[in-house]
Amino acid sequence: MSIVAAVVPTDFTPPGTEDFWIPLIGEGAWAFTRASLLAVISVGLLWWWLHATTKKRALVPSKGQMTTEAVYTFVRNDIGRDLIGSKEFMRFVPFLFSLFVFILINNLFGVVPPFQNSTMGRIGFPAALTIIVFVMYHWLGIKKHGFMGYWKSLVPSGLPKPMVPMIFFLELITDLFTRPVTLALRLFGNMFAGHIMMLLFIGGGWYMLTNGGIVLPIAGGVTWIMAVVMTVFELVVEVLQAYVFTLLAALYIGGALADEH
Amino acid sequence: MTGNIAILGYGLSAIGPGIGVGLIFAAFINGVARQPEARGMLQPIAFLGFAIAEALAIFGLALAFVFRS
Amino acid sequence: MHALTFPAAGEGSGWGSAPPILPHPLELIFGLVTFAIFYWLFKKFIWPRLETVFDERAAAIEGGISRAEEAQAQAQAALHEYQAQLTQARAEASRIREDAKAQGAQIIAEMKQQAGVEAARLTETAQKQIEAERQQALVSLRGDVGRISTDLASRIVGESLHDETRQRGIVDRFLAELESGDIVREKVGAVEGEDA
Repeated sequence: MSIVAAVVPTDFTPPGTEDFWIPLIGEGAWAFTRASLLAVISVGLLWWWLHATTKKRALVPSKGQMTTEAVYTFVRNDIGRDLIGSKEFMRFVPFLFSLFVFILINNLFGVVPPFQNSTMGRIGFPAALTIIVFVMYHWLGIKKHGFMGYWKSLVPSGLPKPMVPMIFFLELITDLFTRPVTLALRLFGNMFAGHIMMLLFIGGGWYMLTNGGIVLPIAGGVTWIMAVVMTVFELVVEVLQAYVFTLLAALYIGGALADEH
Repeated sequence: MTGNIAILGYGLSAIGPGIGVGLIFAAFINGVARQPEARGMLQPIAFLGFAIAEALAIFGLALAFVFRS
Repeated sequence: MHALTFPAAGEGSGWGSAPPILPHPLELIFGLVTFAIFYWLFKKFIWPRLETVFDERAAAIEGGISRAEEAQAQAQAALHEYQAQLTQARAEASRIREDAKAQGAQIIAEMKQQAGVEAARLTETAQKQIEAERQQALVSLRGDVGRISTDLASRIVGESLHDETRQRGIVDRFLAELESGDIVREKVGAVEGEDA
């Protein structure tokens, strides 16, 4: 470190969790943060988009309507119908579609210029969505199998007797802990880490461009090129994470509704 | 040299899931390449496996933040 | 190392350095509320539109399909009819051919019969003619022979046998004998021989 330290000025502060804390109104636990504002804006934007593109209800769709319908068809058929089953998927389609587009637009805020901050990079939002999914699939499972039947259905039938308690314990942990925690943290972690990476590349690149002699600004330029690459990568990750979250939500709902767990 | 050893823990916890997720998607790609019509059936299974394998790395990430000094 | 503790209220920058996996209460509430509002808006207003469009399109496509099926059925029926007609026409053609063949055979048979009849008739006529001619020749021959023989006899006998009654009587008797085969060549020959 000492060699680098000799060349590089050490007053560079790497991006950290502080960069995600942007309170707009108020302070502390009840502060209205930038992420909350973005969530509200996202609902407005989604409403405007969906309303404008489905207003005409044309049989032969325009370009905007076609896009909306393509997204809708994707969620309806490729996520809903394939994972929940063609019998019961219809009543979950609004939920899954809302989930998908809500996550997608909030993720995309991470790279789109005026927002530049992913809502889902704050754990509160993924956690809120996960709570909804968590409550929903447990409630559906209990409603379908009965309270005791639901917990019994966690263990696959035809298992040797001594194995049952262990499998039940593992399934219980999976259902009650692993699934919701990973569901929320996957989305949060990807958005959070992606944003930190971009902050690091852009901030570090800027620091290198503005400090040092000849070599450092060149490295800074390379870093900024990398930042552009990272932005494109982020775009892919954002869409993918929205898809994965919705897919897993559908999978858990489908699993709770299935006859065999 | 200063830093947080919990981050090291996250690095370690990411190795296994990294390999696991790679294996899952390798198998998925193999399967789809052999039988493209089975894609719809394999995709949820692949993503479920991916989610389960990735859980460990996510726990690592979470615990890295929990135990940071 | 610090555990997962919520920053104390009133601590200004506490949330900034708090562990990022601790949900900020208001953000959690905002997440729930915004999503709930959006879900309600979508389900209430947008979803019915999307589904009606889907249903209408499906109906339109199904209508198109049913129309196409109908047209296909019609085409199929037409094809069946055409084939039936073709089969019928073929059967008729073969029947006509059979008829023609049979008729031809009949005509040939008739012609054969006619020819046979004709031939028989012709033969009969010819025979009759021959018979008539023979009869005629016989009659004329009878006359001639009578005349010649009387001439000859008169010459031989030297006596005119031209006397009508006698002549006729002799000739007739002679011829009758000749016909009945009573005349014997030997006798005449013997007479002639005697004469010679």
